[in-house]
Amino acid sequence: MPHKLFEIDKEIPEREKHIYIKHCSDEDNEIDCNKSTIPGCMTERGCALAGGRGVITGAIKDVIGLVHSPVGCQYYTTGVKRYPSKPELPNGKTFPIDNFNLKYSFGTDLKEANVVFGGTKKLKEAIIESNKEYPFASAIYVNSTCTTGLIGDDVDAVCKEMTEELGKDVVAFNTPGFSGVSQSKGHHITNDAVFDRLVGTKEPPKTTGYDICLIGEYNIDGDLWVLEKYLTEMGLNILSRFSGDASHDELCWMHRSKLNLVRCQRSATYIADLIEEKYGVPYKKVDFFSTEYCDDNLRMLGRYFSLEEEAEAVIEKYHGEVKEELKWYKEQLSGKKVYIFSGGPKSWHLSIPLEKELGLDIIAVASQFEHLDGYDKMKARVKDGTTILDDPNSLELEELILTNKPDLILAGIKEKYLAYKHGIPAIQIHSYENGPYIGYEGFLNLAKDIYNNINAPVWKLMDFESE
Amino acid sequence: MSVNVYKRDRQVIIDPLVTCMPLGAMWAVLGINHGVPLVQGSQGCSTFARYHLARHFREPIEIAVSSFHESTAVFGGKKNLNISLKTLIQRQDPELIGVITTCSSEIIGDDVYGFVDSNKQELKELGYDNTEIIPINTPSFAGSHFAGYDNAIDALIKNLATPNENIECDNNINIIPGLLNPGDVNEIKHMLDSMFVPYTMLTDISETFDSPLNPKKQKTPYFGKGGTTVNDIKNISASKGTISIAKYAKTGAETLKQTHKVPAVTDNLPPIGIKGTDKFLKTVNKLSGYDIIDTLMTERGLTLDLMADVSARYLAGRKVVIFGDPTLVTGLTSLVIELGMEVVMVTTGSEEKTFPTDIESISKNQSIDVFSEGDLKVVEDYVKDKDNGVELILGSSEARFINYDTGIPLVRFGFPVYDRVGYHSQPIVGYRGAKRVVEMVTNEVLAKYYEEKHWKLQQ
Repeated sequence: MPHKLFEIDKEIPEREKHIYIKHCSDEDNEIDCNKSTIPGCMTERGCALAGGRGVITGAIKDVIGLVHSPVGCQYYTTGVKRYPSKPELPNGKTFPIDNFNLKYSFGTDLKEANVVFGGTKKLKEAIIESNKEYPFASAIYVNSTCTTGLIGDDVDAVCKEMTEELGKDVVAFNTPGFSGVSQSKGHHITNDAVFDRLVGTKEPPKTTGYDICLIGEYNIDGDLWVLEKYLTEMGLNILSRFSGDASHDELCWMHRSKLNLVRCQRSATYIADLIEEKYGVPYKKVDFFSTEYCDDNLRMLGRYFSLEEEAEAVIEKYHGEVKEELKWYKEQLSGKKVYIFSGGPKSWHLSIPLEKELGLDIIAVASQFEHLDGYDKMKARVKDGTTILDDPNSLELEELILTNKPDLILAGIKEKYLAYKHGIPAIQIHSYENGPYIGYEGFLNLAKDIYNNINAPVWKLMDFESE
Repeated sequence: MSVNVYKRDRQVIIDPLVTCMPLGAMWAVLGINHGVPLVQGSQGCSTFARYHLARHFREPIEIAVSSFHESTAVFGGKKNLNISLKTLIQRQDPELIGVITTCSSEIIGDDVYGFVDSNKQELKELGYDNTEIIPINTPSFAGSHFAGYDNAIDALIKNLATPNENIECDNNINIIPGLLNPGDVNEIKHMLDSMFVPYTMLTDISETFDSPLNPKKQKTPYFGKGGTTVNDIKNISASKGTISIAKYAKTGAETLKQTHKVPAVTDNLPPIGIKGTDKFLKTVNKLSGYDIIDTLMTERGLTLDLMADVSARYLAGRKVVIFGDPTLVTGLTSLVIELGMEVVMVTTGSEEKTFPTDIESISKNQSIDVFSEGDLKVVEDYVKDKDNGVELILGSSEARFINYDTGIPLVRFGFPVYDRVGYHSQPIVGYRGAKRVVEMVTNEVLAKYYEEKHWKLQQ
């Protein structure tokens, strides 16, 4: 029986098809995914605005991110992810404000009258005022929301008019929260908008034979900077980043890359496909979590660009630095049971590395918004008996904790404290605890966090000592 | 002396100081024992709020959502609500569900009252009639999270409070705390308990937002510990009076006065600082008839003792900017002035009508710049203007970058505070809360404005 109906789900039997127990003879048994959530089931999913502004455009360092909405949607776009940025721009200049993307959010603050009479006038004023306040911003990105989608504000038209008036790109992202079944729709809309509106509109200051784009890498807690270091040291030139620590201009010349690397394959394969189709730039899906994936992918790049020796030097240097320490952590962590509850693809990125390199036992993997291709990878990368869940809800999480008694959960902030209440340590795998988590040193950071969480003395103090 | 009132002079909001109405309503509903907020809207409307509440309280925040998608925008949210209620009741059996509307459900014209009525009937036929279902209107474009909180408390009172003829009255008083932290609600309870005054907290987040870790006793599905029971709310009409701590949350008290003749005190300044707390205790004493006992006067004396130690020596004349919710800002302004410091600018981010006059009434001989409907950019521009000579900022973690960039200390208060721990579990209200604020403010001043090895710090 590959599918499983949790005890808590007996009133919502549709959930059975979303939960799958890996079994070698059931390879073709599909998992229900990318479908509407059952209302009221305590889902952990978010909305299209979260996927668009929260995940992708919020990482860009030199643009004004304007949310066309009542105050709430704008408020929630601040600080949702840890996306640091550096002020250096590709033209050699320095953006006057560091971490501009973390510091400032912009919004139209729609009120009742705007809902009745339309909000486009206010949107125009807000665009002009934001530009006046920060004239050095390279572009203005406008996100529409449930409210502006429903009242029918033509955000595209306003942005077009404003682009002409201000002489800089004002880009519309149509991301009402109710579009699609999860954040995933927001990724797709944003990929399409960046491609349609920006890619191919500018030329890079210079190009080399080693130009690459790092797509789907958002610089969570500094991840991108780790990869950038490896890639630059082996002689590659990062022409564009989509979108961690990226500048607006580099999105516009993504088509000039020689090879695109897709890191987060759920949120950003769309744009790599579009660029390949229109401009003939090939892409590779890459994986840099853990030492082994890092070795493999750096070697692959070495071969592709005939930089084999350089790649080996980088591998030797950075893998060498963490090897011994990781070995020690593996000894300490062997056999500990872990449940990976990720937003998207980290469930399949991390399952093999955690088992192979840290000795952990992955008992369950889940994703809020993966699609079938992602679940196929999950199935391929976990051992028999592992539970795979699509769009799990908090009651299922509790049942899984009580039945399987994991030693650790990798999840988001919403699940973290729930796990705590049941005595299970948890690490934030979306925004990280003490990251970066990518690359060699990142994997060591993750190992440290896992070790420190599982071994925190507090978890052994739960019972009152009566002696 | 005077206040100078300014209004934000742009349409665009740059880093808001307030969020949407649903968050306030969720806060209110989560203060009910086994209460579940159900957001009638898109998934982001619940997920974002859960994230922000979890980040501040470091607690599980369980909020349901009816998952609007494109089809809902076309066909309406009746089916979503119907399935949500059934699913929630079957799986979690809550005491109460607050149906919290959103921008989208209000714009498409969902009649949640009608939906809830027809659902109640259907659920009853299925044998599920133990759960109270309360519709709460909270379209974000109609106000801030303070207004959402107010609407929620009012909806709870309107729907639950029963006529008082058959209810035993024990000199109970009702307290509407507003968006206070668990430590503050606990401090209010401590003051009332010290006076032996029975009370009903409308609603009580002191434990639901600060629950103990005790896995062996943890039941599933998860509900935060404590909270006001539905039954207690049903009986509030028999109380001697209702005190709304926050002016923005007074509608429920007024409703209770109109419908059940329960006296309402809604115009006092909050019990932050000495005078505010004095006034609060006098009000409690007047409504309940219970005496203000010596223990509380000892606490008052301890706080005065510290104020005498530090105010003239370290704090006098230092220039302070305060931002946050209107209740917090008026309260802290009053306390900071009691310390002999100078409040130069305050802002709230919301449109609380009486805010400027409240500030004026406590401003003494100070001249205070009041920005109505401000945002964080207003605070930043003011603080970075060297002519203003700001030495201390009191407000939420959102001002952390202003603190890093200018080096001017930020003493964290209000919501959200996510880059320091313990702020929500300790009080700022009451005499003990005032003492804590004085300690926090003084320590920041000592760390920043006194050279650490200097002999001035030796005694």
